[in-house]
Order: sequence, then structure tokens, then C-alpha cells
Amino acid sequence: MKNKRKWLAAPYGIWAAGFIVIPLIIILYYAFVSPETSKFTMSNFAMAFSPENIKSLVLALLLSLISTVICLLLAYPLAVILSKKEVNQSSFIVLVFILPMWMNFLLRTLAWQTLLERNGVINGILAFFHLHRLNLINTPFAIILGMVYNFLPFMVLPIYNVLLKMDPSIVEAAQDLGADTLLVYKKIMVPLSIPGIVSGITMVFIPSMTTFVISDLLGGSKYLLIGNVIEQEFKQTSNWNAGSALSAILMIFIFASMFFLNKYDKDGEGTLF
Amino acid sequence: MKKYINRIYMALILIFMYAPILTMIVLSFNASKTRSRWGGFSLKWYTALFSNTDIMQALYNTLIIALLAAIISTILGTMAAIGIGSMKKKIQSVFSAITNIPMLNGEIVMGISLMLLFILVRMNLGFSTILMSHITFDIPYVILSVMPKIKQYPKSTYEAALDLGASPLQSFFKVVFPDIMPGVLSGFLLAFTMSLDDFVITYFTKGPGIDTLSTKIYSEVRKGIKPEMYALSTLLFVTVFFLLILINQNPAEKEKRVKQYSVIRVICKRVLPAAIIVLIAGGGIYYHGTGGISTKDQIVVYNWGEYIDPDVPKNFEKETGIHVVYEEFETNEIMYPKIQSGAVAYDLVCPSDYMIDKMIQNDLLDKIDWSKIPNASNIGRTYFEKSREFDPYNEYSLPYCWGTLGIIYNKSMVKSPVNSWNILWDPEYKNNILMQDSVRDAFTVALKLAGHSVNSSDPKQLERAEKLLESEKPLVQSYSVDQIRDKMIGGEAALGVTFSGEFLYMQRENPDLDFVLPKEGSNVWIDSWVIPKNAKHKKNAQEFLNYLCRPDVALKNFEYITYATPNTAARELIEDSDIRDNPILFPKDSDLKNSETYRYLGRKTEELYAKLWREVKSS
Repeated sequence: MKNKRKWLAAPYGIWAAGFIVIPLIIILYYAFVSPETSKFTMSNFAMAFSPENIKSLVLALLLSLISTVICLLLAYPLAVILSKKEVNQSSFIVLVFILPMWMNFLLRTLAWQTLLERNGVINGILAFFHLHRLNLINTPFAIILGMVYNFLPFMVLPIYNVLLKMDPSIVEAAQDLGADTLLVYKKIMVPLSIPGIVSGITMVFIPSMTTFVISDLLGGSKYLLIGNVIEQEFKQTSNWNAGSALSAILMIFIFASMFFLNKYDKDGEGTLF
Repeated sequence: MKKYINRIYMALILIFMYAPILTMIVLSFNASKTRSRWGGFSLKWYTALFSNTDIMQALYNTLIIALLAAIISTILGTMAAIGIGSMKKKIQSVFSAITNIPMLNGEIVMGISLMLLFILVRMNLGFSTILMSHITFDIPYVILSVMPKIKQYPKSTYEAALDLGASPLQSFFKVVFPDIMPGVLSGFLLAFTMSLDDFVITYFTKGPGIDTLSTKIYSEVRKGIKPEMYALSTLLFVTVFFLLILINQNPAEKEKRVKQYSVIRVICKRVLPAAIIVLIAGGGIYYHGTGGISTKDQIVVYNWGEYIDPDVPKNFEKETGIHVVYEEFETNEIMYPKIQSGAVAYDLVCPSDYMIDKMIQNDLLDKIDWSKIPNASNIGRTYFEKSREFDPYNEYSLPYCWGTLGIIYNKSMVKSPVNSWNILWDPEYKNNILMQDSVRDAFTVALKLAGHSVNSSDPKQLERAEKLLESEKPLVQSYSVDQIRDKMIGGEAALGVTFSGEFLYMQRENPDLDFVLPKEGSNVWIDSWVIPKNAKHKKNAQEFLNYLCRPDVALKNFEYITYATPNTAARELIEDSDIRDNPILFPKDSDLKNSETYRYLGRKTEELYAKLWREVKSS
């Protein structure tokens, strides 16, 4: 029986080979081939590792790391609060956090523009109270805000799901044995929610790292992230080979985080829903 | 006390999450067309929304793709999860690694790799390619939702059912399935949400004539989001919100008065979802029939965003019965590889001068049969003469729009006279300058200021220009193509680098704005229609060109896009002499003596420009 059942995965296996594995091989092919002669070359990678590209890679790493940390700091307490709600109420509240995702991603980001602009809503409110106007838009701050805003649900939900599955009696037992709140978090809550945290970190870090829309719309294109560089190689300079080489470099980071994820979240407990 | 802190914390996060959505709702009631000005309360965008077939079509495309992708990926994903669950550990880990790829791979890498695949196998980019891509990135979410449920599920229950005489199929659907159902449902919901919200992957895998809400919005950013879009989002938000409340109230009632409310339950659980599906499917078929692909005669047109009056293709269709499939691009450079790869057979494309040069050199264009376009005589001779710089014998291109690159400035914010590119380096306007975010245009500003040609390929001159641009960067508020219009109208900046054709529209919205062509000279550009070699409907394409050259049609187009028309017959029809003889829109040849047309500079120089531009941007 068992042998037969595994064939249920066959359609997906074929699909994954065709639409996940082969496209990745195509990208690698483009990355190692010269645009003029279609012969093997490393020149695309030499180009990809130019100082200005490394700068954008480092900037992307930095901004997405900061966003991930902020997301984690915001999301963990929220997930704890949510997980203590009654079952019925909590499912509603969780949906409330998913609801913004049903509004279009671009419109939401553009709405932030309206909020942050020099003559925007926030500065309008500040001016009303005779406070000094802030220079918010087109700064790294605005980009980080955009990342945190767009990807926060991906941090909240996995942590919430892990906390929900946690047996409350473990915490009670610790408290009975004399542990204070801090110790309970340190020894029980956080270690047990590691799968959710790790899954949340990857789900926030990777999209922040590769985004180009957020840095375009909220950063005024003044801050070139690695996603912008790749997008420009494909869209503005039509140099697909250099773009592929950059994508291939980006994949290294992706595989590293996959390894990280597999190590800490073996059973896929840190799911989104 | 702790309870209050908790509540305040949650409220703050909710404010953070919903502030932009609230902004969208407010904007949907804004009578003014630009988002940066409040023009009073109005409901007009709601009525306009329902008569806007483009947006409605995009909405139905979005919903149908999301629904189909979610259903298919739920079936495939659930089957896969069950299969993977009963595999050996080693194969299992291979499968789960592959499953993680689409989730962890940057969207941009996914989108591009799928696009390359579709182009390689010569698949027409369109509805089916978007759907396949969505299924691809949806499946992993389903698997990851179902997997934990399957792992938790005790095998003995299933075996017990078998022992009691149920067939394997029976025992699966009667025993196992109800238990993993929550996982399947949440997988479906997640897949639907991800598909609904996707922009990047759709953007790379879509073809002409099909738009989802995301791609529609993205193409609208250029001229400012249409307020109908905000109205639509508001309606969607309100609908989903009430659905949520409705669904949520259900379980509470279930316990209290099951029998009395069973009818309501049936409505909520069966009728409502079914009705939604029927509505979506029916509407989709309806709109697909009116606007989508048909078997009639057609042409596939590939043009700049917002570069034609939407009524023009419709009227053409009425007159000739030829259906116009319309697709937009934002830059010459995104258009070029699509033509080169032959992924889509376009019949008419509207590139700029230097790109036409490149396309002719690479043998991508077909000659135009001028005898089929008698109305071409309406186009001024001087424009054909100018076209010879990139099309030496006037064989391939028909001029459509032309203009210059210059400075738009806000008279109330700029006190010193504006006549030179120099002002963009004036520290007084720090954070008040909007630069063009395209390589050639940005370099034009610096090259001209330094007294060089806009077609310079001398590395020393280019490096000098690069240094100049780098020194300007601290003063620049943002680099953009799309949003200079909105920001200048809203008074967000004092100076902006933009095209002469933008001026008319901007000044109508904000009378403080004026445009100047700097004395050092600039770029004069022409966008022209060309027919690619692989066009399938060349005859229809020429008929459309002839239609576009008709004075009344050209005038209608001019009034919509406000870029100077080379159609002299149409220009004479302009009633307002201020516009007809406007020195900004239609500069005299003597004003243009320092200005040049772009030429294609070859691959190596192109790469050098791109590299130097990246250095500016990342400095």
C-alpha cells in the first residue's frame, strides 16, 4: 500500500521538474555563457562582482537584516498576545492580519508614498500641530518601513502557529517550579518557538533581500539594491547574461537560508496558517 | 494593566497595518485626479469604475487566475503531500528541498527563469503562462500547509478503516480527508492570497492583451493611478471584510441554536461560495468575450504606456472590424528583447529613434509599403528628414510623436532664472530636484553641461559626466521616470527633468509649472511606428497606421497624450493657437541647433553607459 501511495506525488514531481528545476538550469546556462558568442565564459560573473554591484548587495543585506530584526521584535509579542486569545476570536484576528494582503501590494506601497511625502499626510499632521516637517520619503528609513509593512504578516503567522500548538501546561509547570516571566520566556517559550521564528526570518529576509519595487517607490531609486540591479539588467540594459549571473549569486543566499531552515524547522511546523 | 498594554500594542500594530488602506479609501472619494491634491468629496470614481471595462477585465482576470491556480495547486499539492509523506526519508528531503525553492527564491529570479523557459519553448506569453507560473509558486504553500497535518495523522486510524472493510478510496475520503481538511483549506486560502497579490512573476510571464490588477496598476503609475483603482480597492476591501465577519459569526451560533439557523449555515457554507464562484466564472467569460482574444482579424500593437487615446483602437475596430490587441511597455530596453526573441509576434511597435537604429542593424524590422498608407502625406516632411539619422532611406519607420528633454520647474519655488542645466547642481535646491531614471537621459544632462555630444562614446567624456552626476546626487530628491508628473503637480519638488510633451498636462493641473529647454542643448527624440519581421498581420498593421495618420484621429491622440504630433494636418486643426504655436511643444529648428537625436552606440558603449550609471546610483 505504502509504495503505491507515494506515486500520488508524481504529478507534482513532473510539474516541479518542468517549472522549478529546468528554469533554474536555464538561468545558470545564461549566467555561464557569453552574450555574443554563446560560448562558456566567466565574464558575466566578473561583471557581476564589480564594486558597485557588491555595494548594492551589501546595502540589500543590511536593509533586509534590519527589517527582519524589526519584524521579529514587533511580531513576537504580537504572536504571544494573539495566541492567548480564545480560539474563536483569534482566528478572526489572524484573518485581520492577512486581510491587507488582499489589497494590491503596489497600491499599498503607493499609499505609503502618500503618507510619507513632503506634503503628505504625516507631514500634514505635523504641520497642523506646528511641528517641524520630517524628511521621510526617499530615505533608507522609508525602504525599511516598506519592507516591515509588507512582510510583517509572514513573521507573525508562523510564530503564532507554533505558539498555538504549545502545551500551556508546560509554562504552568515552569511557573509552579518557581520560574519568573523572564525565565519562562528564556527557557521555555523562545526555545519551543524556534521553528516558527526561523521560518519567519526566512520568509521576511528573502523577499526583502530581493525586492525592487519597494526601493523604487519608497527610496526614490536613490538606493540601488541587488534586486534593482537585476531588474535593470533585464529591463534597461537588456543584458540577460549579466542579470542571470547576478540571479545565480543571489541563489547562493537562498540555498544558505534553506539549509538554515531545514536545520531548525525539520517538521515544517512553522507554517503560515 | 497588562491587558491594557496588550490592547494598546495590538491597536498600534493595526493602525500601522491599516493606515495605507485607510489612505486608499480616502483617495477613492477624492474629486481631483491626482493623488497629491484633495479636490473635495466625490463619488464619481465609483460610477466611472463600472463603465471602465479595462479595470473590470483586469479584476476578472486576477480573480479567475487566482481561483484556478488555487484549485489546481490545492489538488496537486495535497496529492503531493500525501505521496511525500509515505516516501523514504532521503527522497523526502529531496522533495522538500525542491518545494522550498519557489518560496525562498526571490520573486524576481522565479519570474525571470519562468519567462526564459516560456520563451525558450516558444510558448505564447499570455493567460496560460501566467496561470502555470501561479500554480508553480502556489503549490509549495499548499504542501507546507497540508504536510504537518499528514505527519500528525496516526496511520492506525486509516488501517482500522481498512480492517473494517472500507476500500482504500473510501477510507481515505471518509476517514483521512476530514482530518487533514483544515490544512487543505488553509493551503487553498494561502495559495489564493499569494496569487491575488502577486505582481513580479505575473509581470515577467504575461503577454499582450492580458492584464491582472497588479500589472494594470503598475502601468498606470506613469500617469498617476486612476482614482477608479482606489474605488475598486475600497469595494474589494469592504466586501472581504464583511465576508470575514459573516464567516466568523457562524461557529458561535452553531453551538446555540443549530436547527433554527441551519438554513443560514447552508447559505453561508455552500450557497455563498458557490455563488461567488459562479459570479467570477460567469463574469470572466462575459468580459473575456467582449474584450479578450477572438478569432476575428486582429493586430497586436506594442506601445508605450498611456501613449494612445483608448477610444482610437475601439473606433478603428468599429470601422474596420479588425480587433486591436494592445500591450504596453515602459522602456525601449524592455521592449527590445521581446522582439528579438520572437516570444510574441507583434504587428506594430513604437520604439524611439536609437532603438529603431539598433533594430534595423539587427535585421528585426520589415519595410513599410508606403503605397498602402496614403495618409502618411499628412506627416510633415521635416520629420521624415530627421528620421534619416536612424532610418537612412525612410523605409522602416513612421513618426508618431516627438519632443525634447528639458527642465520642468515650479515658478513659486524657483526664484533664479532657469535656462541652463547648471541649476540642477545648485545647492539651494537640495532635495528639490527630480532626475530622470533612465541611462541615456540622465547622461544627456551631464554630457551637455560639460559641452559634449549626447552620443559620446569617449570613455573620458563619459567618466567626466559620471563624476558630474555623482556630485549632483546629494541634491536629488528621487530618480524616477513614472512619477515626475505626479510629484511636480503636487509641489513635491521644485525642478524636474522631463519631456516637453508632459508640460501641457502638468501645467493644466498646476499653473505654477513651466518648462525650459536649456541653452546648452538637449536631446530631440522621435518615437516612430515600425513593423517587426515576424509580424503576422502586416496588412492590418498598415491599415491601422493609415488610420492613425488621419488628421482627426491624430488630433484626438494629441489631445489625449499631449506629446507633439508630427502630423501637420492635425496640428492645423488645433483650435487653440496658444497650443498650436506653442514654442515648448513645437520648438523651431533654430531653438534646436544645440540639440541632437540619440543614436545606437553599439553593445560595448551601451554596457559602459549602464556600468557608469550603476556607479552613480550606488554611490
